[in-house]
Amino acid sequence: MTQFDLNDDSVVVIIGSGAGGGTLANELAQKGIKSVVLEAGKRFDLSDIENDEWAMFQKISWLDKRYSGGGWHGAVNHPTLPAWIVKGYGGSTIHWAGVALLFKDFEFKTRTNYGAIEGANVEDWPIDLEEMTPWYEKAELKMGVTGKTTGMPHLPWNNGFRVLAEGCRRTGRSDYRSGPMAINSVDRDDRPACQQIGFCMQGCAIGAKWSTMYTELPRAEDTGKCEIRTDAMVLKIEHDETGKASAVVYADKDGNQFRQKARVVCVAGNSIESPRMLLNSASSMFPDGLANSSGQVGKNYMNHTTGGVYAVLPEKVHMYRGTSVAGVVGDEVYHDPARGFSGGYYLEFLSLGLPFMAAFLEPGNTGWGRSVTRALEGYDRMSGVWVLGEDLAQERNAITLHDSEVDQHGLPVPIISKTPHNNDYEMTAHMYETTAQIYESVGATDVYELPAYPATHNMGTNRMHADPTKGVVNAYGQSHDIDNLFVSDGSQFTSSAACNPTLTIVALAIRQAEYIAQEMNAQNI
Amino acid sequence: MSIRFHRLGKSEEDKAAMSRRMFLMTTTMAGVTTNAMLGGTAFAASDVLTQAQSTSLLRMVQDIYPHPDILQLSHYQAIATTVMNNAEANEDMAKGLTDGLDQIDAKAQELHGVPYVEIEDPDAREGLLRHFQHEGFFQGVRWTAYFGIYDNKDVWPLLGYEGSSAEHGGYIDRGFSDITFVPEGPTLEERLADVQS
Repeated sequence: MTQFDLNDDSVVVIIGSGAGGGTLANELAQKGIKSVVLEAGKRFDLSDIENDEWAMFQKISWLDKRYSGGGWHGAVNHPTLPAWIVKGYGGSTIHWAGVALLFKDFEFKTRTNYGAIEGANVEDWPIDLEEMTPWYEKAELKMGVTGKTTGMPHLPWNNGFRVLAEGCRRTGRSDYRSGPMAINSVDRDDRPACQQIGFCMQGCAIGAKWSTMYTELPRAEDTGKCEIRTDAMVLKIEHDETGKASAVVYADKDGNQFRQKARVVCVAGNSIESPRMLLNSASSMFPDGLANSSGQVGKNYMNHTTGGVYAVLPEKVHMYRGTSVAGVVGDEVYHDPARGFSGGYYLEFLSLGLPFMAAFLEPGNTGWGRSVTRALEGYDRMSGVWVLGEDLAQERNAITLHDSEVDQHGLPVPIISKTPHNNDYEMTAHMYETTAQIYESVGATDVYELPAYPATHNMGTNRMHADPTKGVVNAYGQSHDIDNLFVSDGSQFTSSAACNPTLTIVALAIRQAEYIAQEMNAQNI
Repeated sequence: MSIRFHRLGKSEEDKAAMSRRMFLMTTTMAGVTTNAMLGGTAFAASDVLTQAQSTSLLRMVQDIYPHPDILQLSHYQAIATTVMNNAEANEDMAKGLTDGLDQIDAKAQELHGVPYVEIEDPDAREGLLRHFQHEGFFQGVRWTAYFGIYDNKDVWPLLGYEGSSAEHGGYIDRGFSDITFVPEGPTLEERLADVQS
């Protein structure tokens, strides 16, 4: 395997190996551009994947010390697990469910379409759907997304989704289907078709679901242009006297420190670690952290307005059989202030295994007793959804550094604060009511409303903005302050939209790779 | 946060719940009786808990996750044994547990005039335990019970969960789409037409 010298200052250093970092590494490698990927977690392969919710949670989750803050219920019920993301080779593409939706046009221009919203920090992206469409198509072809771009049919409907779909039909809805999913419905790209195993979010045991773990990363390594170092936790990004990023300091699993020189640095550590790295890299030249002249690094943390709804049906459903997110309902994704909130939301069928259902049905200290056991005795008759809608940017929702506690590397522990906006409460009430009506139309006897899970969709903490005083990066994810410092993950999102973020992260990474190559060739970076 | 029952009317389910409550009381007796019959074996072997405390603990794990129609007393005994073994290995945990069980009994005497295990109404027992639900000892017992039931592969079939499927080739040939009370999904041809039109 290729190894680059620590003093090789011609390499692009990419921090993180998930949807953003993994895609970027392979795109650059295919163009012949050398990169070193620093991945904080371990190297995983398919043999590590088990169909076991807690075993996989323990194996792949990012469990370094973190605190939940703000007014969301998780500050009490999930005090040290603000987010549910992965630490390892492949990042959160191991855990993602495979939903590959794209932004609606209006969702790129939320300031224009929603106007200024009190208490929120809503802005327009410097890009739009027309600009992104070709990049979305490249992403769909790369990942193998069911739908028109690839011509690959959507997946067959499983029991749980069939119940939801019938409820949609009976309530007059029309936009419900078993895709688009980045899960093979036929053999494609050296990966097999889905076998309806379930456990998509514990990692796909056969690789039918796209993950950088077995696509982008090994393909990048195979070019000889990319070295991926696992167990490499970044401590600091350094800069030279001109203010250009020059090196990345990281620690291996034994705590030994290394300094990898770099021509370009791309941050793709997810929306908690990416701003944390920039803040931890403060220097005399950049006392508020790198790329932070706007003061927006770590701000505008978004993780979608979410909840779960599980209905008990009169007959057995066995919802856990088959694809975890087996279908998507898009009828509610539109902006109409008359509904009492801005933005829209999806309903996504989502099966939980019994262990997770018992843990998340009523999270926290109170989730026991006869109401809980009675509900769980209906487990095999349940169908349910994850509702997810647009989460408005707010400055107070932020990643900040603890002022005294440090982690195992001596870095200040991050505090992830999230307080819902009134928009979220209004939207959540609408989501719950809509879903209950859908399930009641197919005979649901009980409907359980679950509060948000620790978030896997984390966005916005290094946001894109045309105006350098209002955002951290430009339309290519390049930081306004430092030309050779890029943000390559979901933290560059200006708005969250209603949809799952991965397809957009991948599309942006493909586009960014093109831009980096162009700028390197032009000697601009 | 709490579970919100959505438009839950008075139904057959409620009547069923009544009969479950009655069954629970039977189980209470079964718990006490069996434990008494075991005498000096399983629970009295504890270096940490008295006989009365062991009985309380067994009642407590049943009240935390009551599944009288589904689980056997032995399931709960196994959980109680795990709690006691953990307590025997950890002095702080043992003290927390014994103090906690004593507090539960003291509260039971205060509110109901009898020890906790002698409260017949399961609602009253749950209500009593709610006083302690934010205590460390309580959550320790609760999470041990959680893992002993809901993350226990032997219990899964009793609650209608089949678990791991990759080793069986997934659920694609094992009922992933076998229900009959709603229409079937689109055929392959229809799904192809949907993306190729």
